[in-house]
Parts: sequence; C-alpha cells; structure tokens
Amino acid sequence: MINLFGKRIRIFRPRSIWIRKIVQWGFFILIALIAVNHTLAESGASIPFLATASLHAVCPFGGVVSIYQFLTVGTFVQKIHDSSFILMIIGFLMAILFGPVFCGWICPLGTIQEFVSGFGRKIFRKRFNHFVPVKLDNILRYLRYFVLAWVLYMTAVTGTLIFSEYDPYFALFNFWSSEISLTGLAILGVTLLLSLFVERPWCKYACPYGAVLGVSNLFRVFTIRRNGNTCKADGACSIMCPMNIPVDSLTIVQDHQCISCLECTSEAICPVAKTVEFTTRGAK
Amino acid sequence: MRLNSKVLAVLVTTIMFGGIFLTSALGLWQTESTKEAAVYTTGEFAGQANPADIRGSYTFGDVEKNFNISSAVLVEAFGVETDDAPAFQVKSLEEIYADSPQEIGTASVRLFVAFYLGVPFDLSSDIYIPEAGANLLKERSLNAEQLAYLEAHTVVMSSTPPAENIVPTEPAAAAETAPENTPTAEVTHEESTAEIVKGKTTFADLLAWGLTDMTIESIIGTKMPAAPGMTVKDFCTQNSLDFETIKPALQIEIDKLK
Repeated sequence: MINLFGKRIRIFRPRSIWIRKIVQWGFFILIALIAVNHTLAESGASIPFLATASLHAVCPFGGVVSIYQFLTVGTFVQKIHDSSFILMIIGFLMAILFGPVFCGWICPLGTIQEFVSGFGRKIFRKRFNHFVPVKLDNILRYLRYFVLAWVLYMTAVTGTLIFSEYDPYFALFNFWSSEISLTGLAILGVTLLLSLFVERPWCKYACPYGAVLGVSNLFRVFTIRRNGNTCKADGACSIMCPMNIPVDSLTIVQDHQCISCLECTSEAICPVAKTVEFTTRGAK
Repeated sequence: MRLNSKVLAVLVTTIMFGGIFLTSALGLWQTESTKEAAVYTTGEFAGQANPADIRGSYTFGDVEKNFNISSAVLVEAFGVETDDAPAFQVKSLEEIYADSPQEIGTASVRLFVAFYLGVPFDLSSDIYIPEAGANLLKERSLNAEQLAYLEAHTVVMSSTPPAENIVPTEPAAAAETAPENTPTAEVTHEESTAEIVKGKTTFADLLAWGLTDMTIESIIGTKMPAAPGMTVKDFCTQNSLDFETIKPALQIEIDKLK
C-alpha cells in the first residue's frame, strides 16, 4: 500500500508489455548496426546485407526539419535524403492511427533512457519519477515545443542540420566518429544521468520530434480509454505511466505526452479486465 | 475496435518495414545522394560530366565512373595509402592533409580532374594540390594559364602523406609553416579559406559575409530565393544559371569587403 493523491492504494505486481521491449531493442540494435556499418563502409569494409546509410538518412526528424526547404526550394537540407522524408511520412501515418508509437516502441533514445531508468527505479523506488515538483513539471513539459520552434527556424535560416550538434540521439550512435560534437555528447550524458531520476527526461522536456508527434494524441484513431464503470480507482495506471499522465482521472487519454506504450492498460498494470484499453471510439 | 500489445507490435513493425519495402520497390527509398556528377549544359563540353560537381562523399571509384580517371591515378596524385582505392572517399583527403598549411580536399580533386581532362574550370579561387598530382598534370597538355596556376598552387611534401612536413611552394605560405609561426599560419590559412564561394556556400553565408541583397541580386540577375539556406549552386542549377560564372563575380564582391 502507498499514499497517492491523498489515497491509500494497493500496488499490484506490474506486468510489463514485454513485446514492446522486444520491438524497442530490435530497433535499437538495428540502428546501432547501421550506424556502425556506415562507419565501416567509409573505410571500405561493411557488414553484408545490412544498410550502410548514415544516421541522418534513417531519422524521420530529418524529414521534419526539411519540410520548409522542400516546400520553398524543392531540395532537402544538407545530409538529408528521400529516406528521411519517407520515414517522416510513415511516422505521421502511425501517429494518426496510434499516436506517438514511434516514441514508445521504436525510438532508440527512448529505449536507452528506459534502460537507465530501470536502475533509477531500483535505487529510488517510489520516489523515482516524482522528483520534479508537479507545477514546475507541468510548465517544463511545454519546453519541447520551444525547442521544436528553434530547430525549425534555425534549420530554415541556415539550411544546415543545426540540431545534429545538440542531438543526443545522433551522439548515441556516433560517439566514435569525427562527426560528433561535444555538446551533443554532453546533452546525451546529462539525459542519461537524469534518467536515473526521471523516466524519459529528454522525451518529456526537450525532444522536438516528440513534440511534433505528441500533437497526434489529440486526434489519433486508437487511444487509451478508461472505463469508469469498472475502474477500481486504485491509481495503478497513473503510477505506471512513464510520462506521469493521471490516467485514472481521465476517460480518454489525449495528453500530448502519451507515448502509446500501453503500460497503463488492463493488459499490463490495471488489475481489472477491459477497463483501460487501447481502442477506437465506440469500441465495445 | 481494440488493440492489444501483440497486434500493435505487428502493426508498428509492418507499417515501418512495409513502408520502406514499398518505397524501395517504387525506387523512392534513397539513403544517399546520387553519385552522378552534373554535366556541362553549354559550350564545347556540353553533356560531359563537370568536375566542379564532385562532392566530398564521392569515392575515387565514383570519380573514376564519372570521369574515366583511374583510381590508381588519383591515389598516386594525392599520395593516398589504401588497399581499396575505389572506396576511398574524397573528403578523407582533408583528414590526411589536416596539418597542411593549405587545404587539400574535395576542391583539389575537382581541380586535378579538370586539368587532367582539359575541361573548363574556374580558377578564381586558390585551390592547392600535392606535388605528385601537379607532376602528373604537367605530363598532360596544359595551357600557359593552367601551368602558371599549378606552379603557384602546388604543395611540396618531403614525406607522403602524413602532412607534418608539407611546405607550400609559395614563399608567403612557406613562411607560414615555420615552426615558430605555426599558430599564425593556421590563422592566416583560416582567413584565406573562410570566405570563399564554394558549392556548399549558401545565400545565408553570403549575407553573413557582408554582401547585401541588392549586390547578390545584381549578380545573379534575379530575386534571391525565399530560403537563404539554399546553396548558390543549387539556385543556379534550378534557374539555369552558370555557377562557374556567378561564383567569381560573388567572390570579387566579397574580396572588396576585406
């Protein structure tokens, strides 16, 4: 039993969406191998049957920052290719259907943050992911939209991938290359350090691509729905949510921070069947 | 309709890889620039690949494919030690010659290829090539202007290719390489290359270097693009302008500001 929102509630042994972990680490390994293969290819050797694309070429956010130049000039920002644009479109399609599943199921930076957070959860137990005061947290959650605006503006003005200097995702898979910037490495280090205290700090407060995809939570086809009639109001769903969304007080989760991880659903933490589910409107 | 995690996992991976597979099948999935150099559009060499379009991401193999110059010749010209010459990326020259007082890189390959083939090339900016490359070029039929340019832009090295002992032939540049003057030499080198109109120069760069909209537009003969991040070269290509004509005109205006 713990105290939450002034109520004493029972904590159930959490069941995890294990297949999400498999998908996440599958993509993590794939991107890591592609990044390594890109470096190998530049030195004349490469792993057979594996793409040698640059990290920029397999990042959907590269497509997002290229939109302005593509519409006004008809070209991509330097180092961005058609593949980035295609991945951006695929990402948008998935977001319209399922919300930011890219963040919750695919993004390797999210995966590594969750991995580090596993240690933080063991160290700090109930305090983990509750260090930031709620009022401050609520304000900081919008910071990522300012980051997004700055990145889009600077990319449009300079025509270069300005964000790669600061991008912890780029740093994560390029720390061995000469392309890496110290700023990016420092931001990656800070992100991983903060992950010991907060679940997905980069995603919550700074990720510009998460900001873009987060908007889809307002209109996605499938969304998290809570059935108030069967809900025991034990708060388990809210405790389990990595993004600190108070699911137990919502009927439909339209919070811009939801990453569609399904960890709050009856399939995972919610002890009552068919109470918190990922459904379309009117599902029975 | 409700989804559980297993179905969502299948849908997410299917949409992601299915989208990539589909666009690959349609020929839309490109993860790198096409390695086909732009061609001259006018004049005696119309239709022939233009060395000015060689990019840093090109390998010696790409240069060989586009310009029919053997990778072995390029390896000899630039003093590269590699077991796989066709896979050697042009931009890697900058790392090999990192300590050179004068930049040897992609532009050097462009110059070498142009002189080797005897095709037009803009000589308004200072581009340097190693002595071995210069010697190879002198065996080709160069005109007086090209020979003079080569004499003034050859970097002599006492060992190959680690660049610690590289000494430029120009007296002024040679002075820059004296050990006690090393920091000064680096600064001078930076100044000499920082504000040079190249293929990657954007309109934003030109504005940052002090050119006004009016000056730029008077040279390009039309309005500047809405996005200043566009490269001058891309703009010229899209508007059927000759970059090799625009580039020196812009450089003259930039030099006036120094």
